Amino acid sequence: MSDLELSVAAKDTERPKLTLSRRLWSAVLPVALVMLLLGFAAVDRGVLSPANLLNIAQQTSYLALFAMAQTVVILTRGFDLALGPTVSMVSVGSALMMAGAAASGHDSGTVLLAGLGAGFALGIACGLFNGGVIALLGVNPFVATLGSYNIAIGIATTLSSGRPVQGVPPLFSQIFYGGSLFGVPAAIVITAAIGVGLHLLLARTVFGRSLYLIGTNPRAAAVAGLPVRRILVATYVLCSGLAALGAIMLTARTGSGEPNLGGALSLQAIAGAVVGGTSLAGGRGGVGTAVLGALFITILSNGMNLTRIDGYVQMVVLGAIVIIGVLLDRLRQERRQ
Amino acid sequence: MNTMLVAASPHRSISLRSIAGRIGLLPALLVLLVAGMSAVDPQFYGIINVLNILRNASLLAIVACGQALVIIAGGFDLSVGAVVALASVVTAKTMAVTAAAFPGSNALIIASGVAAGLGCGVAVGLVNGFCVAKLKVSGFVVTLGTMSATAGVGLMITNGIPVYGMPEIFVKGFGRAQAFGLPTAAHVALIVILMMVFAQRRTLFGRYVYAIGGNVDAAVVSGVTIQRHIVGTYVVSGALAALTGILLTAQVGSGQASFGGDRMMLQSIAAAVIGGVSLRGGVGRIEVVAVSALFLTILGNALNLLHVDSRLQPVFLGVIMVAAVALDELSRRSKPRV
Repeated sequence: MSDLELSVAAKDTERPKLTLSRRLWSAVLPVALVMLLLGFAAVDRGVLSPANLLNIAQQTSYLALFAMAQTVVILTRGFDLALGPTVSMVSVGSALMMAGAAASGHDSGTVLLAGLGAGFALGIACGLFNGGVIALLGVNPFVATLGSYNIAIGIATTLSSGRPVQGVPPLFSQIFYGGSLFGVPAAIVITAAIGVGLHLLLARTVFGRSLYLIGTNPRAAAVAGLPVRRILVATYVLCSGLAALGAIMLTARTGSGEPNLGGALSLQAIAGAVVGGTSLAGGRGGVGTAVLGALFITILSNGMNLTRIDGYVQMVVLGAIVIIGVLLDRLRQERRQ
Repeated sequence: MNTMLVAASPHRSISLRSIAGRIGLLPALLVLLVAGMSAVDPQFYGIINVLNILRNASLLAIVACGQALVIIAGGFDLSVGAVVALASVVTAKTMAVTAAAFPGSNALIIASGVAAGLGCGVAVGLVNGFCVAKLKVSGFVVTLGTMSATAGVGLMITNGIPVYGMPEIFVKGFGRAQAFGLPTAAHVALIVILMMVFAQRRTLFGRYVYAIGGNVDAAVVSGVTIQRHIVGTYVVSGALAALTGILLTAQVGSGQASFGGDRMMLQSIAAAVIGGVSLRGGVGRIEVVAVSALFLTILGNALNLLHVDSRLQPVFLGVIMVAAVALDELSRRSKPRV
């Protein structure tokens, strides 16, 4: 697709004309979600129980956070394949820091701050590396983050000797996993807050809007006088920073620093963003698409687990869903034009 | 700019300086690595180690050739690792079933197994190609989906347990055999590389792949049938990945769903990219990709022999990948653009 077409498509999304067919199309995914839930509920009543719904919401909040991180860079026609290994590295790094600080006899507040500081520092370093290589050296995002994927995996497993890092203070887990606000678990609260903040950032600030412009037409963005390179670096730092936050939440859940935590997360996060309707061609998507996609994937795998569908079959279904989801989105776009 | 490169490449291949420019530092690095390792560790040039390197490099090179072709046409194939696993499992299973039905008729057993394995690769390639070319879904997403699905089917067939029951001759007479001192995989890889180089330079298909990757619109206007050739690249990539799966199966003696995987997929992309294939499409040569596969294999082997912690090894791979592409990008920037 040419830049011109893309920018026309983007203009369309910015000022939605609420015709009937467009309303129908934009409702496809939410309707599919409800149908999916009801379908699973027909097989197993437990799917709709309050406990399981809360479970789904909690599960979704992690994936949604990672999908949001991925969406930010995908908006600029980028990728972050290193997201999963970044999560592993942050998990191991913050756990080691906390274990070390606790062992040297600091009080629990200092230990927590040291862990958070180490985690975010590692995440931001990763983002700076990605952003620097992509924006300043002009390396394709796929290669750059594939490189940092390997580097981050190497660092995470070397630091931890490939074993889980013990010694995470209980207070850490109590706050970031066990904690709750008005009965809502911490993971959901954090993701919701980040989601609102990120939405405002993307929709209402110059920085956010410039991401869309860079994604739809990088040349136009440069001609318009945007500091494209600086913005790109900031984008990757933002992505890795969000990944670091997710890593801290996951570390609190497991109670130890896990070198294998990231595993398939990079691709899952991309799948979540893309199924929700984020365009890999750049310039289209947002917090809403990331959350929808994450919700869809989580409900699907939760339902398949509860209805006892074989794990290997689940892989096939997820693969098919990713393709069908993007195909539907493609058809939806064609309708618009 | 891409179209210019495509148009100019046949002439460029004549001048020696431009060959060095296109291949870049890779052969020099390779020679340096081999010389350095030979000086440090005599084990490195021992016959066992050399055969080991050749075997692994051949397997990687075959997959990387297919991957390179897809990337040159402007796509991506994330499913190759999963295809290696599926082909391995299906080949072994088919052979075991045929052997039970027609005991003793080895030719039939082997033919059916190999055909089934290659068939899987072609089938996955067709699905990839159909979704990319006809349904216009991005190659990254399609192959991400088929990767998950293919790996799932492989595991479903075996439940994660290795499949035995292949004829002895397939393993001993083919997989672990050596002819003229080279392992079977090396012979197969050589044939594949020669065929691919020929296809790239001397056939319409090869030239069209460059044209499509370089500038789709220009290719359409020039009357190239885009869809058929894009499907073709994915089918070749799937078939070559399946071939690697079959070779691995013959070498190990069992079909395993754990072959290939994400590691093989990422390495094949790394080999293609370090070998000068541009992710923008339209640029890249199979022979350089093969050299790059050899380089990556020797690098891993050298790190092992030097007792570098296996956990730390990915860091080297990552740094070299980024550095290779960054150098390429910087040298391109310094060249004047016509």
